Amino acid sequence: MEAKKKWRWGVNRWWVLLFIILNILAVAFFKPLSPHIQVAPEKLSEHPLFTLPVIGEFYLTNTMVASFIVMIVLILVAYTVKHILSKSTLEPRGIAGALEMLVEALYNMTENSAGKWAKVIFPYFGTIVLVVLVSNWMGLIPGVDSIGWLEHSEEGYPIVNVIPNVLTAIVNGKVAEGETGYIVTPFVRPVSTDLNFTLALAIISVGMTQVIGFKAQGIRYLTKFFNVLNIFKKPFFGFMDFLVGFLELISEFSKILSFSFRLFGNIFAGAVMLFVVGSLVPYFVPSMLIIFEFFIGLIQALVFGMLTMVFMTMATQGHGEHES
Amino acid sequence: MLTGDIVEAAKFIGAGLAMIGAVGAGIGIGLVGLGALQGMSRNPDYYGTILTSMILGIAFAEAIAIYCLVIAFLMLFVL
Repeated sequence: MEAKKKWRWGVNRWWVLLFIILNILAVAFFKPLSPHIQVAPEKLSEHPLFTLPVIGEFYLTNTMVASFIVMIVLILVAYTVKHILSKSTLEPRGIAGALEMLVEALYNMTENSAGKWAKVIFPYFGTIVLVVLVSNWMGLIPGVDSIGWLEHSEEGYPIVNVIPNVLTAIVNGKVAEGETGYIVTPFVRPVSTDLNFTLALAIISVGMTQVIGFKAQGIRYLTKFFNVLNIFKKPFFGFMDFLVGFLELISEFSKILSFSFRLFGNIFAGAVMLFVVGSLVPYFVPSMLIIFEFFIGLIQALVFGMLTMVFMTMATQGHGEHES
Repeated sequence: MLTGDIVEAAKFIGAGLAMIGAVGAGIGIGLVGLGALQGMSRNPDYYGTILTSMILGIAFAEAIAIYCLVIAFLMLFVL
């Protein structure tokens, strides 16, 4: 055991006091204002990047920038872990140790549910958890959702040059007559607040569930939806089974909707709450909200992944094989 | 005419009415917590399993409140 620094009480309270004082000073100089909130992500480029014939135009939106950042962060973490593990695998330190804990916990969960299909199901579970986790937590970094271009708008605010030619801020107040107000279009907006991203992830999740179902059971997977097994042997119950199968088909589509809206609603509502409460009570409450959003981001990532894993497990098990 | 003001007022009323659905989610999450606590107190060995199932159940129940929230946001900010 190497010698550790002795824990002393009260070292960090001076940092907390410093940040509280900075908070009070900042609020005294720049009064908080209620921001412009919109559901659709804001475009950062004037002209579309490319245009597909049926689907339409693709602009560079601020959530797309955030998704690039998520990808870069995950690739960097992967290379760092590989570098740390290549030196010695006995007891990895630092970020490799944390990731090993996470991966082991997730893999144990998958093995308890899925049994022998855990090796096929685990990549989807792990990837979804990591991507959604990083993209949820990105909304808590200062600078995301607040630094961006200034744009003209009718319901805008007047501007103030903080550092000339480098930094300009919008301030609370009335716009002078004859000038238009400005609003901020952020450079980076957390990618889970974009309904496109959550919908795409939900479609991938539900689609791969069907693929794994076909891989596990072959063509008999279709009897989950079109249940014609018992329709001639026991006429009445067979017909009920057929209707239940039809209901399962509808519930697959409702799973797509439910996945996408659960993640979108949680993270978007969190971002809106951070803005609105930050403008109403700027002193201590936003810190509590950031802790809450930290927790919610983690839970939503885990829930998305766990539901994917559970549905894939249920797809590999057919009728009459219900194990406890 | 005051059409713009009436539309604005109707947006706010609609958003407020849409959030009444969150009552059901609150009761549902409370019931999930009740079941989880009873289970944990009867079998303290299965703390981990019950906690995982509780988190899953809470996420399902909370999703209904999130649907109501999405309709409220749709009314406030999009339409």
